[in-house]
Amino acid sequence: MSKGLAFDKLREILLEKDWEEREEFAQKLSDLDDQLNSRNRLEEKIQPILDDERESLRHRFPDLFGPQITETISKQIRESQDEVVEALYPILGRMIKKYITSEIEKLSEKVDEQMKLAFSWEAWKIRIKAWFTGTPQKNMIISKLIEPKIEEIFIVEKQSGMLMGSFSKNHSVDQDMIAAMLTAIKAFVEDAFKGETQELDSIDYDNYKIVIKNFKSFFIAVVTSGGMSMAFRDKLDDTLLDFAEKVLRKAKDADEEVKQERITSGLEQYFDNFDKNE
Amino acid sequence: MNKKVILVGHFGVGKTSVVQQFVYSKFSEKYLTTIGVKIDKKLVKFDGYQMTLLIWDIAGETEQNSVSKSYKLGSHGIIYVFDLTRPSTYENLEGQIEYLKTLLPNAPIQILGNKKDLISEEEFNSVKESITLPFKATSAKTGEHVEEAFIDLAKAML
Ligand SMILES: Nc1nc2c(ncn2[C@@H]2O[C@H](COP(=O)(O)OP(=O)(O)OP(=O)(O)O)[C@@H](O)[C@H]2O)c(=O)[nH]1
Ligand SMILES: [Mg+2]
Repeated sequence: MSKGLAFDKLREILLEKDWEEREEFAQKLSDLDDQLNSRNRLEEKIQPILDDERESLRHRFPDLFGPQITETISKQIRESQDEVVEALYPILGRMIKKYITSEIEKLSEKVDEQMKLAFSWEAWKIRIKAWFTGTPQKNMIISKLIEPKIEEIFIVEKQSGMLMGSFSKNHSVDQDMIAAMLTAIKAFVEDAFKGETQELDSIDYDNYKIVIKNFKSFFIAVVTSGGMSMAFRDKLDDTLLDFAEKVLRKAKDADEEVKQERITSGLEQYFDNFDKNE
Repeated sequence: MNKKVILVGHFGVGKTSVVQQFVYSKFSEKYLTTIGVKIDKKLVKFDGYQMTLLIWDIAGETEQNSVSKSYKLGSHGIIYVFDLTRPSTYENLEGQIEYLKTLLPNAPIQILGNKKDLISEEEFNSVKESITLPFKATSAKTGEHVEEAFIDLAKAML
């Protein structure tokens, strides 16, 4: 081997290999760079890891954070008890109502059964009338055959008896006075019957029935005329709960005038056409 | 602005008469004891303000009973009436006021010594000496200081 040849060989051995590796290395680097800087490709790589982590977190979440969350929630409840109760009232109301509705359905089925068993002349008369008018027999017995109507609605602060808002078809009465008087009547009846837990829920007066729905810091009194039917009462209850939840809770924190305005316009919105689409 | 005002005090001291004088400018010698509570309403105007008072005239009592307690709750202002001619109606004035303050810590209280028209100036001075709390001497019959009492309370409730 000549001196020159040997040198080339040596260079080849020393550098060629190096070049190759370096190129390979550069390729890898550029690949990596590509993966890191292009979102899609990065996601492709990382997503499975994230998915795994998320899945495991989901399983371990109650253990990991349960105690802190419980602590935070119970602290929140303790610190804002009134708000929580206020928020729960409509929900509880609805739950109780559901239960009662099902109990009434049972009762009404019993009435039906009784009707089937009854062979008296009175029963036949009712039955014939029911066939003619197409009204279920039980409804004919229960309702007084007069369409029920809402005359007035009062939203009243408990204790003070201050009117928070109202709805009226004829604006003939002094609503502040009625609100205060209703509060006094309620206080009287509830105290007279030592009803710490029982609250007055309706007053019959002349041809009017005043339905009272109690909430924590206020009550709603609805003055109705005509025969109160199950369906009407039911719809009224639903609408009142809905109204309490959607309008009253939001209006609660506003200042006095804004509050009264909101409640009153809310009442109009909810009850203007209440009787019509019966 | 609506405010609930209650009138409290012993039987026959003139609570109903004071309200009648203030709301209707009327007076009657007849004594018709109030049963439960009687509610009246009056709009008052002062210093550019307007305030609607819902006045709860509560039946007189010798001891605190629970029904009248619920009538009192939620009040924004209190008028406590005693009878200048009957010491038994102001003997335990401090105690009564203390009770009302505990029941309604945020409600201002206006104390009235009523039936001023029935006593002489001397008698009045000796009654005044025996009472430690500040009060207004009123007469539901002549109307003396009646409106002023309500307006002062209204101002305190602002
Ligand atoms: N001369 C005089 N008589 C008064 C005055 N105020 C009340 N009276 C009379 O005192 C009697 C009782 O007055 P009421 O206003 O009914 O007393 P009340 O405190 O409302 O009594 P109860 O409702 O029973 O608690 C009535 O006969 C009134 O005419 C007054 O300022 N002067
Ligand atoms: Mg009276």
